[in-house]
Amino acid sequence: MTTGTRLAEAVTLREVRRTYGAGDAAVTALAGVSVGFRSGSFTAVMGPSGSGKSTLLHCAAGLDRPTAGTVTIGGTDLGGLSEHRLTTLRRDLVGFVFQEFNLVSALTAAQNVALPLRLAGRRPAPADVAAALAAVGLAERGGHRPSELSGGQQQRVAIARALVTGPAVVFADEPTGALDLRSSRQVLGLLRAAVHEQDQTVVMVTHDPLAAAYADRVLFLADGLLVDELTGPGTPGDAGFAAEVAARMARLEA
Amino acid sequence: MLAWSTVRERWTGFVGSFVALTLGVGVLTTALVVFVSAQPAVPERLAGAAVVVQSPAGGEDAEAYVEYVPWSAARAEELAASLRAIDGVAAAVPDRSFYAQLVRDGRPVGDPPAGDPIGHGWSTAALAPYALVDGAAPAAADEVALDAAYGLAPGATAAVLTAIGPREMRVSGTVDGPGIYVSDASARALAPGVRAIGLVLSPGAAPATVAAAARTVVGAAGAVVAGDARTALEPEAVTRVRWLGTQLLTVMIVLAAFATVFVMASTAALNAYQRRRELALLRAIGATPRQTRRLLLGEALAVGVVSAAAGALLGVLAAPLLGDLLVRAELEPAGFAPRPSLLAVGPAVVTGVLVAVAGAWVAARRAARVRPLEALREAAVDKHVMTRPRWVFGVLFGLAGLALAVGTAADDGDSAMTMAIFSALTLIVGCTLLAPVLIPPALRALTYPLRRSATGEVVRESAGAAIRRTAATAGPILLTVGFATLILGMVKTMSPAFGSEDARALGVDAVVTASGTPGLSDAAVAALPGDVLSGLSTQVFVAGAPVDALGVVPGAVPVRGDAGALTGDTAVVADPRWRAGDTLLLTFADGEAVPLRVAASVEPGTLTTPLLLPRDLVRAHDPSALTMTAYVRGAPPAAMTGDPGVLAQDPAAYAANDDEDALVWLFVLVMVGMSVGYTSIAVANTLVMATGDRRRDFRVLRLSGATNRQILRMVGTETALVVLFGTAFGALVALPALLGIRSSLAELTGSAVRLVLPWPELAVVVAACTGLALGAALLATRRTLHRAQPR
Repeated sequence: MTTGTRLAEAVTLREVRRTYGAGDAAVTALAGVSVGFRSGSFTAVMGPSGSGKSTLLHCAAGLDRPTAGTVTIGGTDLGGLSEHRLTTLRRDLVGFVFQEFNLVSALTAAQNVALPLRLAGRRPAPADVAAALAAVGLAERGGHRPSELSGGQQQRVAIARALVTGPAVVFADEPTGALDLRSSRQVLGLLRAAVHEQDQTVVMVTHDPLAAAYADRVLFLADGLLVDELTGPGTPGDAGFAAEVAARMARLEA
Repeated sequence: MLAWSTVRERWTGFVGSFVALTLGVGVLTTALVVFVSAQPAVPERLAGAAVVVQSPAGGEDAEAYVEYVPWSAARAEELAASLRAIDGVAAAVPDRSFYAQLVRDGRPVGDPPAGDPIGHGWSTAALAPYALVDGAAPAAADEVALDAAYGLAPGATAAVLTAIGPREMRVSGTVDGPGIYVSDASARALAPGVRAIGLVLSPGAAPATVAAAARTVVGAAGAVVAGDARTALEPEAVTRVRWLGTQLLTVMIVLAAFATVFVMASTAALNAYQRRRELALLRAIGATPRQTRRLLLGEALAVGVVSAAAGALLGVLAAPLLGDLLVRAELEPAGFAPRPSLLAVGPAVVTGVLVAVAGAWVAARRAARVRPLEALREAAVDKHVMTRPRWVFGVLFGLAGLALAVGTAADDGDSAMTMAIFSALTLIVGCTLLAPVLIPPALRALTYPLRRSATGEVVRESAGAAIRRTAATAGPILLTVGFATLILGMVKTMSPAFGSEDARALGVDAVVTASGTPGLSDAAVAALPGDVLSGLSTQVFVAGAPVDALGVVPGAVPVRGDAGALTGDTAVVADPRWRAGDTLLLTFADGEAVPLRVAASVEPGTLTTPLLLPRDLVRAHDPSALTMTAYVRGAPPAAMTGDPGVLAQDPAAYAANDDEDALVWLFVLVMVGMSVGYTSIAVANTLVMATGDRRRDFRVLRLSGATNRQILRMVGTETALVVLFGTAFGALVALPALLGIRSSLAELTGSAVRLVLPWPELAVVVAACTGLALGAALLATRRTLHRAQPR
C-alpha cells in the first residue's frame, strides 16, 4: 500500500522497553530505545547475542508488543490495536524476510508471492506477480515449490513477497544467516536495490559485518540499549566500512 | 485455495487422517446399513395373505416378547369357517407349523430355529403363495411335498424328522418355496394349536374392507392385521435373533463413532501443533486469526468430504459381508440381506464430515491464537499442555467413568453391559485428557531401570519433554487395550456364569445336546444309554401370561430341585406366585386349557424353569416339543455317537464349547480386531507425523556422536515405553467396569463370580499394538535419518 503523503520516518520507536517474565526471573530485552527509520533508508541493526536486536525488530514490526513506549508505523500508533487490526496493518504496511522457513511449502513461488495480496482479499494480477519474481531474477521459477528451490532462491522469493504489497517498511531478520557467500550477496544486493531504486525502507538485523556493510546506517545494540551508530560510504559491501563495523562489534563483545 | 493446496501438498500429513476417517466412516456405514436393514418384515410364507387374523396377545415372556395364546383346533376351525363367509375372502387357512426337518444320508438338513419351524400343513402353501413344481399335493398320512431345492423327485422316499423321531415318507410333489408340507389332517395332529389364520382374497377385494369385516367376525377372539401391520406376524424367534444382532450392532456403532472422534481429534491437534511454525508465518505475513481458522477448517472439510465419500463406498461394499457374518453367528435371521439406503449412508457420511471439522475446530481455535513471533522461535519443550478446560473435563470424565462403574455393580438388569461399556469409554477419555499429568510420573517409574545408560536418559527426557507426542501415541493404544480388556473380559466373565452349573450339580457323565437340529427328538433321547435325565421344553399360559415349562418323568429330572411329588395331573412350581395346593389353569400349545394342582412348591432358583409338568401331559398337548439338553449318568460320551443329530460331551467340554458362546466370541474377536486395526492406523499416523518433525533432533544426536543404530534403539525404547504406558492405563481403565460387571452378575446369580481375563487374546492385542508402533516408529526414523545425514 502506498500512502499519499510520504512521511519522513517510516517507523518510529519512542522509549520502547520490553521485559519478559516477572519478578526475579524478569529479563529486560530492551531498556528504553528511541530510534527512527527514515523512509527510503537501509538500516542494519547489530549487536552481540542477547543485546536485544531481535526484540527491537519484533517490536518495531508489530510482532511483539512493547512493555512500555510507543511504536509508530506509517503514522499509525501500534499501541492499543486489536490483534485483528495489527494483522491487517502488518499485511498492508510491513514486509518480512526471515532467516529460514519463509515460504509456505504447499504453495508455488508465484502463489507464495501472491499470498499477502490474497490474504488481504485482493486478486493479484498475474503480471504483477511475474514482475515481482522477475525483479528478484526468478521469472522462470514461478511454478516451482519451495522444496525445488535453493536456499538463496527461497530468500529471493521471500523478498519478492515482502515487496509485492508496496509496504512502508521491510523487516529482515538475519536474511543471509543460512546462506552461502554468493547467495548472501545476491540477497543483500536485492534489498539494497529495493531501497535505492524503488525507494523502499529496509530494516535488517544481522550479526555479519559483511552483510551490515550493505546498509546506509548501522545501529549497535548492547544490553537492550542503543550504544553506537555508523553511517556507510554509500557503496555496497565496502570493505573498509565492513572492517570498521567488525571492529566496533569486537569492542562490544569484548 | 490455500486449504486445498495444503492438503494436496502435505498429503502425507493427511493420509493418516484420511485412512482413519475412511475406515471410521466405512465401519459406521456398514453397521448402519445392516442396522437399518434389520427391520421386521412380513414373513415370506404369509406374504400372499392380504389379511391375517392373529390369536389374542398374552403377556410378555421373561425377555419382554409378547406371546400369543393359541386357539385350539376346534376354535380355529370355527373361526376359519366364519371368516370364509366374509365377502371377498377366497380362502381362510389356519396356519399350522410344527418342527420338521429332512434327514438325508443320516444327517439332518439345515438347522431351522425352534421358534420358526418349517413343517406346515399343505393348505398354508397358498398363503405365500407357493405352487407345485411337480407331482401332487400330499394327501395320505405318509405323503409329503418338499421344497424343490432339496432335489428329491416325486415318488422318492424322504426321511422326515419330527419331535417324535424320523419317519419314512413318500414325496408326492415338489414346491417352489421353502418348507416341508404334509396333508392338512397330518398337520392337525402335529400342530393342533393355531396362532394365525391367513385370508386369501378374491381378485378385486379390498384388504381394508375385508379386514374391517374380519374384525367384526373375530371380536375379542383375536386381532386382525393387514398391509405393513403384518410385520407383527414375524416369529418371535426371528425377532429375538434380530434384537441380539441389534444390540451388538449398537455397540459396534458406538465404538466406531467413538474411535473415529477420538482419533480424529488427536490427529487434528497434533497436526495443528506441528504446523504452528507455518501457521505463525502466515500470521506474520498478514493472515488474521479468522483466516487461519478458516484455513484449518477448510483443510478438514476437504479431507472430511473425500474420506467420508470413500468410507461410505467401502461401507456399502462391506455391508453384505457383515450381514453374512451375523447370519452365520445367528445374530440375524437366515435370509437377511442388508440393503443400502440413504437413511443409513447419509448419517454416516454426515458424521464423518462433522467429526473431521469438529476435530479441527478445537485445534483451529488454538492455532489461530498462535503469535506470529512463534515462527521465529524454536519450541523444544512442550509447555502449557494442560489447559484449564483440559483439567476440568479430564477430572469430570474420570469421575463419571468411576460413577458408571459403581452403577454397573448396582445394576442387576440388561443395562449393566451398556453401563460398563460407557464407564470404560468415559474413563478412556478422562485418562487421555489427563495424560500430560499422568505421563511424567509414569515414565519416571517405567524408566527407573534405564537411569544409568546414556540412551536411557535421552529416551526418558525426550518422551517426557514431548508430552504431546507421547500422549498422542499412547492415546489410541490406551483405547485399544482398554476396549479389548473390557469386551474380552466381559464376555469371558459372563459366559461361565450362564454356563453349565446344572451339569456340575447333577454329577452326570455326559451332556447331550442337539447338533444340526433345534433339539433332540423323542427317538434320539430314547436311544441314549445309561440313566437319562431330560425334559420336554414347552411354553404354557397361565391367565394369559407365558410360562416356560418342562415335561419330565419323576426320578429323571434334569434340574436341581425335588420333583418327587409330581404325579399324573399335578405340577411342581418354582415361582413365588403359586403355592402347593393351588390349582392352575394352563393353556397348552394346542390351545387346550387344563387345570392342574400344584403338588409342591420349591425355592425359586433351584429349578431352571418355573414349572415342572408330567412328561406325557406335555407330549399330548405339544406334539412339537423337543428336548434341549439330556444329561446322562452311567455312560461316557463316547457311547453316544450313533445318532448324527446328537452331540455328546463330558460336562467340562460342554461348559467350554458352548456353541453359541463360540459364535459370540468370534463376533467379539472380529470387533476387537477391527478396533486394533483402527488404532494401529492412528498410532502409525502419529508416529510417522511426529518422527518427521524430529529430524533436527536426530541431526544433533548424530553430530554428538550417536550412531544410527543408537538412535534407532533410542526411538525403539521410547516407543516401547509409550506402548507400555498405554497398555498399563488401558488395563486400568477397564478394571472398574469389569469389577462392576462381576458384582452385578454375582448379585444376579446369587453366587460368587470369578473375573476371567483371556490372557492369550489380550497378549495378541498388546503384541499387535507394540509391533505396529515399533514398526511405524523405526521405519519413519530410518527414513528421517536417511535425509538428516550430518553436513
